[in-house]
Amino acid sequence: MTGTLVWKLFRDVRWALLVVMVLLCAFQTLWAKITQRIIEELLPAVTPFMRLESLKDVLFKGPGKLMQTLMGGEQIRLDNALDMLSIGYVHPLMLTIFCIWAVGRAAGAISGEIDRGTMELLLAQPIPRWRLIVAHFCVDWLVIPLLCLSLWAGNWLGVWLVGMLSTGPVVDTSKYVDPAVMGPALVNVAALLFAISGFTMWLSARGRFRGKVMGAAVLVTLLQFLVNVIGQLWDLVAPLRPLTVFYYYQPQQIILQNRWTVDVGKFSSGGTALASVPMVAVLFAVGFAGYAAALWTFCRRDLPAPL
Amino acid sequence: MLVVTEQLTKDYGRFRALDSLNLTIAPGEIFGLLGPNGSGKSTAIRLLLGFLRPTAGKAAIAGHDCWQDSVTARQQISYLPGELRLYENMTGRQLIAFLSQLRGQAIPPRVDAFAKQLDIDIDRPLVQMSSGMKRKVALMRVLLPQAKLLILDEPTNTLDPTMRDQLLEQLLAAKGRGQTVLFSSHVLSEVERVCDRVGILQRGKLVHLQKMDELGSARRVRIRFATVPDSLPDLPGFQDCARQDHQLSLDYTGPLPELLRWLSGQAVTDVRIEPAGLAPVYQRFHGAEVES
Repeated sequence: MTGTLVWKLFRDVRWALLVVMVLLCAFQTLWAKITQRIIEELLPAVTPFMRLESLKDVLFKGPGKLMQTLMGGEQIRLDNALDMLSIGYVHPLMLTIFCIWAVGRAAGAISGEIDRGTMELLLAQPIPRWRLIVAHFCVDWLVIPLLCLSLWAGNWLGVWLVGMLSTGPVVDTSKYVDPAVMGPALVNVAALLFAISGFTMWLSARGRFRGKVMGAAVLVTLLQFLVNVIGQLWDLVAPLRPLTVFYYYQPQQIILQNRWTVDVGKFSSGGTALASVPMVAVLFAVGFAGYAAALWTFCRRDLPAPL
Repeated sequence: MLVVTEQLTKDYGRFRALDSLNLTIAPGEIFGLLGPNGSGKSTAIRLLLGFLRPTAGKAAIAGHDCWQDSVTARQQISYLPGELRLYENMTGRQLIAFLSQLRGQAIPPRVDAFAKQLDIDIDRPLVQMSSGMKRKVALMRVLLPQAKLLILDEPTNTLDPTMRDQLLEQLLAAKGRGQTVLFSSHVLSEVERVCDRVGILQRGKLVHLQKMDELGSARRVRIRFATVPDSLPDLPGFQDCARQDHQLSLDYTGPLPELLRWLSGQAVTDVRIEPAGLAPVYQRFHGAEVES
């Protein structure tokens, strides 16, 4: 029975999924080309006249600081292929696509069915309500890996097309990349998608109109994104960053330093971290909590008649 | 009893949509729920389906509580919603297969024969079907599973007269197979045609239960006089007399020969005698809202 529901839900999203997978793959491929142009053409043309550090000062001074923040912070090296390629995972366009997918799918999951009036059709059958939430959970776990793999496929394709693919013993790590090292960061991508999907699912389980739920979920997500970005620029807001899911989305740290934890509490305790928490675990916990809350809410609520 | 409700009540905030509904429906019975919009018909049906949690009281189908044990209760039910919304990205056949699978059943073998009977192409996408065609697909979905209880919320909406007749025939056939039918409607003529019993709801309260076979002896009489008689005869069974100019309308439950004998002595220009049906009963509670 759950299989039937999962298959139906997967069938419903298949075309949108395909489009998003192509977009993710295409962007990563394009980003590999941008990386190659910067590393092999732009920097060699500029650095004879200006040191790299001076260039960074010019680029990232004043309003440019925001750009540096969005790229992943001060530790990102512009002359390193892997560093530059890793920006593709935190690029605002990528984050926007992740959020649109997770919010869009989860917002319609329950409130969308109620809004369209098809929930009556579904729940007039002898299926328990929890099974519908479990089916959506299964679809998330089916779809999110596909999205991550398409992202990774874009890395491989792009790096291979622009001739930066590291094969055999690496000669120059600043120019050649083995996309396999980016693979582990996909877990962080998956965790972020699952977390956003989780809390949106809870909003959806409470709501009646898909549009309103989507608006609320976008607002919550956007607010978290802004707090996380502004918190990197303005110390006053910095203590709020650990309250956002985006604080726990640091794939560059995983790719470049193999570091899977983030410090919490350092903003409110004079720079000393109170604890290091595994970021992937936090995001998955948010996702699971969202689904658990959705389950609890949906199994107890009234189903209003369609308007 | 297949359906039992005890003091079933539903409040939406401070508004009481259903007030202490006590109702029993026997297996094999066709029961009609009557009432205008907002009288609580759909709320009662949605409580039986476990879509709503009762504020007070309880409802059970085949002994299974409709909220606590909703899944088992719904195993006994096949439901046609009033506001029909289907998965438009499916064909009729895919929809029937999907919903059958959710019931843990195979696609009923008589699906093609039934589709032919209803004159409908179930391999067309639902998005390309007219609302009447979609209604037919939905009816197929409701009538195919052989559930113990069919619940239909205003099922004849958007159906043409031929299809309406077919549906009513199908309901009688379902009763013949031992299935129980609960349906809500505004249309008294169709309720009279198929129901064994009706319940009339008024502002969330069940105000009247009527066995249809008890309506048999009542007649609605309309008489036009050339000269209006000074007084009416002292006949048993004169009810709800209304006089307007030279016309007299009344409901009569007494013996017909006595009425005819009295009429033969009057200056009558026209007389119409017809079965009273549900109209006077319904009119007692909902007055001008009754279907003409």
